Amino acid sequence: MDGLSHETARSPRPLLVVDGVSKHFGALAAVDNLSFEVMPGEVLGIGGPNGAGKTTLFDVITGLDRASSGRVLFAGHDITRAGPERICHAGIARTFQLNAGFDTLSVRENIEVAAIYGHVAPVFPGFRIRPVIRRRVDAALELSGLAGRAATPAGELAVLERKLLMVATAIVTQPRLLMLDEPVGGLTQAEMDAFVAMLARIRGEGMAIILIEHVMRFLVSLADRVLIMHHGERIYEGRPDDLANDRRVVDVYLGDGAADLIRAALDPGVVP
Amino acid sequence: MEVIVQVIASGLTLGAMYAVAAVGLALVYGALGMLNIAHGAILTFGGYAAFYVITSLGLPMVAGVAAAVAAGALLGLAIYVVLVHGMLSAPAFETNIFIATFGIGMALENVVLKLFGAYPAAQPLALDGAVAVFDVFIPVRNIAILVAGVLLMVATAWLLTRTQTGNAIRATAQNRAAAELMGVRVRWIYAQVLAISGALAGVSGIMVSSLTNLSPTMGGDPMLKAFIVCVVAGLGNVYGAMIAAIALGLVEATAQYLLGVRFGLATLLVLVILTLIWRPHGLFGRTQVQRL
Repeated sequence: MDGLSHETARSPRPLLVVDGVSKHFGALAAVDNLSFEVMPGEVLGIGGPNGAGKTTLFDVITGLDRASSGRVLFAGHDITRAGPERICHAGIARTFQLNAGFDTLSVRENIEVAAIYGHVAPVFPGFRIRPVIRRRVDAALELSGLAGRAATPAGELAVLERKLLMVATAIVTQPRLLMLDEPVGGLTQAEMDAFVAMLARIRGEGMAIILIEHVMRFLVSLADRVLIMHHGERIYEGRPDDLANDRRVVDVYLGDGAADLIRAALDPGVVP
Repeated sequence: MEVIVQVIASGLTLGAMYAVAAVGLALVYGALGMLNIAHGAILTFGGYAAFYVITSLGLPMVAGVAAAVAAGALLGLAIYVVLVHGMLSAPAFETNIFIATFGIGMALENVVLKLFGAYPAAQPLALDGAVAVFDVFIPVRNIAILVAGVLLMVATAWLLTRTQTGNAIRATAQNRAAAELMGVRVRWIYAQVLAISGALAGVSGIMVSSLTNLSPTMGGDPMLKAFIVCVVAGLGNVYGAMIAAIALGLVEATAQYLLGVRFGLATLLVLVILTLIWRPHGLFGRTQVQRL
């Protein structure tokens, strides 16, 4: 937390500004006039019931979908109408809920595609991989713990490895903002712990992170700030430790049982 | 023995020819989900480009090959710029582009008709002579077609699996959104795929016309055969198309020998029907389409 406040003090301008963004599908407002900011190096957790508009929000920020209204600013530049590859080059990387690897490419090749094209896409890439790219791919393999699986086709990976691969392909583009969509959904407790350890290392490099997650224990243990969405609107934004005390969040999303668990997880007297 | 050698030689020649045409078709379908009906017309253009450069301009054969490759690649690029670029983000792309390329194909065919006339012409880019294999004389041009076909297959496979562009093409084919989010400019990738496919069609135009003749409608038959190959292999499956092309070439040559020439195409169509009944996603296709 000290590192964060230091970082914030040094560069007080927010990295990402979501300003009154709405996304309508016909009469349905998947995201409804939502505004928030993310500071450099900050970790923002986004939760909320299914259909709350979390993934749609990610799609709008990363350029896969166009906002119906509102603006998205990244590092001071308006990226509301930019295409996904330009937003990637600007410094935002994301992962998906489901596997988004390229099945017939090896783990290394998957990461290479992101490394070669993700920073500044070459028009005619050379045939040989440049040493600087190779080093970055090696570093991403190391960080994600996939170094031993580099030659394996992505289609043969297990669930955890696929999720790690998505993170590796995201971080190898050297983003300033990493967006993770349900990174630990479907993982076992031990796998989740491995994931938390990896994210801690990524955070150490100063990347801002936005993560969507239903696993509240994971969300509150990583996030500096939590935003809960419901029907496309914000119903809570604030510190993770107050989350379980917010009546509306408990009613529409958590339920009393989960709220107790979160309190227990955040209580320093109880080892989670 | 002589008959077997003859049938195999003829089958491999047909197969290599189909393979070059089919791989271009499969590549575009695999990468964009686009069935390029104009592929046959591009092939015709390639054949005529070589003819024009060699016969009318009097340039050497190498220039003829280069002209066919360039004409095919440029037409592929033109199809991207004129049609694909604008239609890509519109709904029902796969259906619309199918109809649009059908129209472009007809237009191109008539351009050839206008430029070169309806009379068939001989392809000057053809090798003469024959080689004896087990007392069977096999024309050198058939061997050249086989060798060129194999070389182009190897080159395509190398491009797709061993180069950075190839990895980006495969990545885009498998998950466009994820590739875009990794910074791949997918539209540029699509343009490149169409150019590569066009270049393959251009060479295939030389192959086809060196065995028969140049005519404005010469693209129709190889286009149909390439489509059959792609359906049997599983649409969009490039490696499957390579194998299926050779296999179908051998089947067609065998059927032509055993049943008569006119039953060659009929046999292929029966195979397509059987494939669609028992393996609707093609011999090498999966229920979940595995592209490239």
